Amino acid sequence: MAEIVILGAGVSGHTAALHLRRLLGREHTVTVVSPNSQWNWIPSNIWVGVGEMAKKDVVFPLAPVYARKGIGFRQAKAVAIRPKGDRDDSRGAVDIEYTCPEAAGTTEMLRYDYLINATGPRLRFEATEGMGPGGFTESVCTADHAIEANHRLREVIEVLKQGTPQTLVVGMGHGTCTCEGAAFEYVFNVDHELREAGVRDLARVVYLTNEAALGDFGVDGMVFDQQGFQTTSELWTGSLFRERGVEAILGAHVSKVEQGLIHYETLDGESHTLGFDFAMLIPPFGGVALKAYDADGADITGEIFAPSGFMKVDADYTVKPYEAWRAEDWPSTYAAPGYDNVWAVGIAFAPPHQISRPRKTPNGTLVAPSPPRTGMPSGVMGKTVALTIADRLKHGSSAPAHTASMARMGAACVASAGTGLTKGSAAAMTMLPVVPDYQRYPTGRDERETRGELGVHGHWVKLMLHYLFIYKAKARLGWQFIPE
Amino acid sequence: MTSPSTPVADLSKAPLPTARTLRMRRSLPFQFTRFLAFNSRIMRMVVKGHH
Repeated sequence: MAEIVILGAGVSGHTAALHLRRLLGREHTVTVVSPNSQWNWIPSNIWVGVGEMAKKDVVFPLAPVYARKGIGFRQAKAVAIRPKGDRDDSRGAVDIEYTCPEAAGTTEMLRYDYLINATGPRLRFEATEGMGPGGFTESVCTADHAIEANHRLREVIEVLKQGTPQTLVVGMGHGTCTCEGAAFEYVFNVDHELREAGVRDLARVVYLTNEAALGDFGVDGMVFDQQGFQTTSELWTGSLFRERGVEAILGAHVSKVEQGLIHYETLDGESHTLGFDFAMLIPPFGGVALKAYDADGADITGEIFAPSGFMKVDADYTVKPYEAWRAEDWPSTYAAPGYDNVWAVGIAFAPPHQISRPRKTPNGTLVAPSPPRTGMPSGVMGKTVALTIADRLKHGSSAPAHTASMARMGAACVASAGTGLTKGSAAAMTMLPVVPDYQRYPTGRDERETRGELGVHGHWVKLMLHYLFIYKAKARLGWQFIPE
Repeated sequence: MTSPSTPVADLSKAPLPTARTLRMRRSLPFQFTRFLAFNSRIMRMVVKGHH
């Protein structure tokens, strides 16, 4: 009998839990620890943020699903990992603190035979003074944030209807942010809502990003084959910005936000300010605050986690220049070095380096989009580790690990540009692999599979994925046949 | 140094879609074929890129 503990119930953790339960007999336990009581299909939060969906459309309670599937659930946050156990027991353990109202603050130690860290991001609004729901800008990172963003957006639309021009800013709240795709989606959904409300002509819409070029998306951009010619994602997205009249400010590090005023620095070292009536800025992500201790209680946090708070795995973390980065640097098994029963998946693993070229301003400010590791890759990582654990329990500890390197796997990115079955649109992109491999492909990626298209069909795909992944996450009949 | 100007990217050279392209992006029969093509590409990636 083995006890498997999964920290986090996002895309990767939840996927791992469902597959483990499917693959393993009932003599083994699978326990999920998550501070949230609900599962959230985060890609659809942008639609909550423009009022096209309600919170109930993007979340559902986890407990009934886990009860039905026979998965243990603790509504709690992990506080510390003890990979070598403690003085009482050499088995690994996790210290957790309950977050549910009836037991808030109560602590417990969970022993494990296998541990998956899928804790996701810590939203670091504090990295930029004045940013976030507690400050002067909105967010769509959680469903509740998105509700608030829509509320504020509606107020601005009412002001516009009275004939007063307004400036709406959407983008990245720090030079090291990731998830540019979410900001890209939100800015075009805001543009769409303004058009639907008949007030677009009075609104100035600005996309403020840390990307050095449009279409970078934190993955160093893409090269598409379009009717026999190579086209870049920069040219392709630039076309959409021009067509929709959305202004773009590139290579920006937001340093401070005040009431109605954003301070930012651009790659040339110049400092600027931008007035706004509505702003949605994505915060930078960090790892959740987890400590690590050895059996004697000595702090080994620095050994297990990178300074960013993300967990180190089987990646090559050697510091080297951008030109020396290789696809092989990226992890494939997601096992923590030195521990063959601990893994980190999804946003929780420490990437070896960025994918986009990192840049510094003449003042030394880092402007470097962080690598995205959400959505499709996250789910694949969760399933891969579940397969590894299942094999080891069935065939012994020497069973080889399953692999899923982001430098080998592909991903679909469907960026909504407005809703509506006949009037909506989305930029539907596929890339293979996610991390470009310039030794294997001249453009870094397989040109046959790396494509981008705009149209109503993109909206249909995004809507289909919304319903499909919520169905899968609810573990309804046949869920396992829906690919990650 | 603080500059009052807003360094907005110059997109005047970005290609604008033609009227035909805009029509095709809204054409339901054509978009249905693109929907099928996109889904088949995702499935190919699932088969090729996932281990």
